[in-house]
Amino acid sequence: MFSFLVPDRRCHADPMFWITVFFAGLVLLVAIIFFSYLIFESMPIWEQGVWAFLTSVEWEPAEDIYGAGAMIYGSFIVTTLALLFALPFALCGAVTASEFLSPRTRLVFKGAMEIMAGAPGVVYGLLGAALLSLWIKDFFGLIDGATLFTAGILLGIMILPTIMTLAEDAIHSVPGEYRDTALSLGLTPLQAFLKAVAPRALPGVIGAVLLGLGRALGETIAVMLVIGGLDIVPSGFDLFSPGQNIPSKLGREAAEAIGSGLHWNALLALGAVLFFGTMLLTGAGSWLLRRNKV
Amino acid sequence: MMNRVLFLAFFCLGFWSVGIGFSSADEIKTVRVVGSTTVAPIAARAAEAFSKKHPGIRIVVNGGGSGVGINAVGRGLAEIGMASRQVTDKEKKNFASVHLTDHIVGRDGVACAISSEIFNAGVTQLTREQIADIYSGKIKSWKAVGGPDRPILVIDKEKHRGTRHVFMEYVFNDVNARAKGAKLITGSNNEERSKIAQSDSAVGMLSAAWLNADVEGVALKKGDTFIAPTVENIQSGMYPVIRDLLFITAGEPKGILKDFIDFVRGEEGRSIVTESGYVFVPGS
Repeated sequence: MFSFLVPDRRCHADPMFWITVFFAGLVLLVAIIFFSYLIFESMPIWEQGVWAFLTSVEWEPAEDIYGAGAMIYGSFIVTTLALLFALPFALCGAVTASEFLSPRTRLVFKGAMEIMAGAPGVVYGLLGAALLSLWIKDFFGLIDGATLFTAGILLGIMILPTIMTLAEDAIHSVPGEYRDTALSLGLTPLQAFLKAVAPRALPGVIGAVLLGLGRALGETIAVMLVIGGLDIVPSGFDLFSPGQNIPSKLGREAAEAIGSGLHWNALLALGAVLFFGTMLLTGAGSWLLRRNKV
Repeated sequence: MMNRVLFLAFFCLGFWSVGIGFSSADEIKTVRVVGSTTVAPIAARAAEAFSKKHPGIRIVVNGGGSGVGINAVGRGLAEIGMASRQVTDKEKKNFASVHLTDHIVGRDGVACAISSEIFNAGVTQLTREQIADIYSGKIKSWKAVGGPDRPILVIDKEKHRGTRHVFMEYVFNDVNARAKGAKLITGSNNEERSKIAQSDSAVGMLSAAWLNADVEGVALKKGDTFIAPTVENIQSGMYPVIRDLLFITAGEPKGILKDFIDFVRGEEGRSIVTESGYVFVPGS
C-alpha cells in the first residue's frame, strides 16, 4: 500500500516503519485540516464577495461590516518598508562576511546574526515601543510614534539578520574555483564577485529575501505594539500615519470573537489571506534556496 | 528493535496521560474569570481572599476586555465573565441559549482622561460637544478648548471594550460610534493610561479608578455645573458618566460559583471594592 512511498519492500516488515509513517501521516493530515478549516470557516465572507472583502476599508463588527482593505494595505506597506530598509544592510553584511572576513571572524559574525535572527518578536516589540517609536516621534516631530513607518523600520531590523545569514550561506556556497578562476583572469576582487560569484548566488539570495519577507508578513506582537492599530488607508501614502496590518488585527480581536458568527469568519478570512501570502513567499523562497544548492 | 518501539510507545503514552491528568484536575476546582480590565482588580483581590478561606479552590483571573469576557462565558471558556458595560443585543442574540446573567459587583465612573501637561496648562473641564468634536476630528488643537497650541493625540479603544461603549454612549449617544479623529487604538486600562502618560498632549477614556498624577480626568458638565470624576462625585451619583461593573455567568450560578459571587457582593466585598477604587453597591 505504501510501496509508492518506500520502494524498498524490506522496510515494510519493520514496526518502526509503520510508526514513523503513522506520525508523518498525522502531520500531513493536520496540515490539510488546518488549511481546509481556514477556507471553510471563512466561506460566509467569501460568499459576500471576494473583491469587496479585499478592497473595502470598513471594519465594523457591531454592524457586521467587514473589509480587509486597511489591513492588507498596512501589511503591504509595512513589509515593503522593512524590505527597503533591511536589504542594503543585509546584502552588504552578507558579502562582507562571505568574501572578506577570515574564517574565524566570519563564524563569530554569523553566530551573532543567527542569535539575532532567533530573538523572539516580542523582544523587538518591546524595544520598538520603548525606544524606536519615541525616537521616530521626536526626530520627525510627530504627534505620536505609533506609525506604519515605525512598524516598517522595526520589522526591517527584525528580518535583517535572517536575510543576512541566509544570503551569506548562498554566497558562501558558491565554489571557490569560480573566484580563483576569475581572479586568475585578471579581474579585481570586486569584479570577480560581481561577474562570477553573484550570478551563481542570486537565486539563493532572493530565496533568503523571500523567507525574511515571510517572517515580516506574519509578525504579530512586535507590530501590534508600534503600529497604532487604526483600520485606515491614509491618504497620499502617508507613512507617518497610524495603520493596521493583518496579524495585529487578528491579535487584537481574536479573543472577543472566538467561534462566534460573522466576526469570527471575517478574522479567519484575514487569516486565510495572510496564510496564502506567506505560503507564496516561503514557497518561492525555499524553492529558490533549494535550486541554489543543487 | 522491539525495545525501541516500546520506548517510543511509552514516551507518547506518557505525554498523553500528563495532558489528561492536568485537564481533569482543572475542571473540578478551578474558576476561570475573564474580561474587563476595569473589573479585574476587584476579581483579583476577591480571588485571593476567597482562596484563603477555601483552600483547594483555584480562581484564575485574566483580562482581555468586556467583549472577551462575555464571549468567553457564552462559549463556556470561562465560568465568570467580567464586564464594565451592559451586554449588547447582538451578544444576547449570539448566546441566546446560554442565558447570560449579570451580577453587579460595583460602580465606577468613566473619565475623559488627558495628559497632566494639558490639565496643568488649564484644560480642566470639557463639554460633551467639545469631546465629540475632538473625537470626530473637527477640533485638532488643544488651543480650541483653552489649552496650549499643540495638536491633540486622540486615543481610541478597541471597539468591544466596556469603557468605550459607556464613553461613546455619553459623547455620541451611540455605543459603537466611529471616531474619525483617532490617532491610536489601545486595549486595556493599563495600556491606555501608559499611552496618555507617555504623551504630553493626549486625550483618552479611562476608568476613573485608574487616574493618577500623570493622567488627569477633566470635569464634565451636568446641568450647569462641571463635575470632576472624584470618588465622592461618583459615589453620590453627581458625575455624569457612571456604569455598573458586572460579573456575568451562564444562567444562575450554583455551588462554588454562587459562593464566590456572594462573597464579592457581601461585607468582605465592600472593602475589596473600595480598595480597588470603586463604589460598593450594597444589597444589589
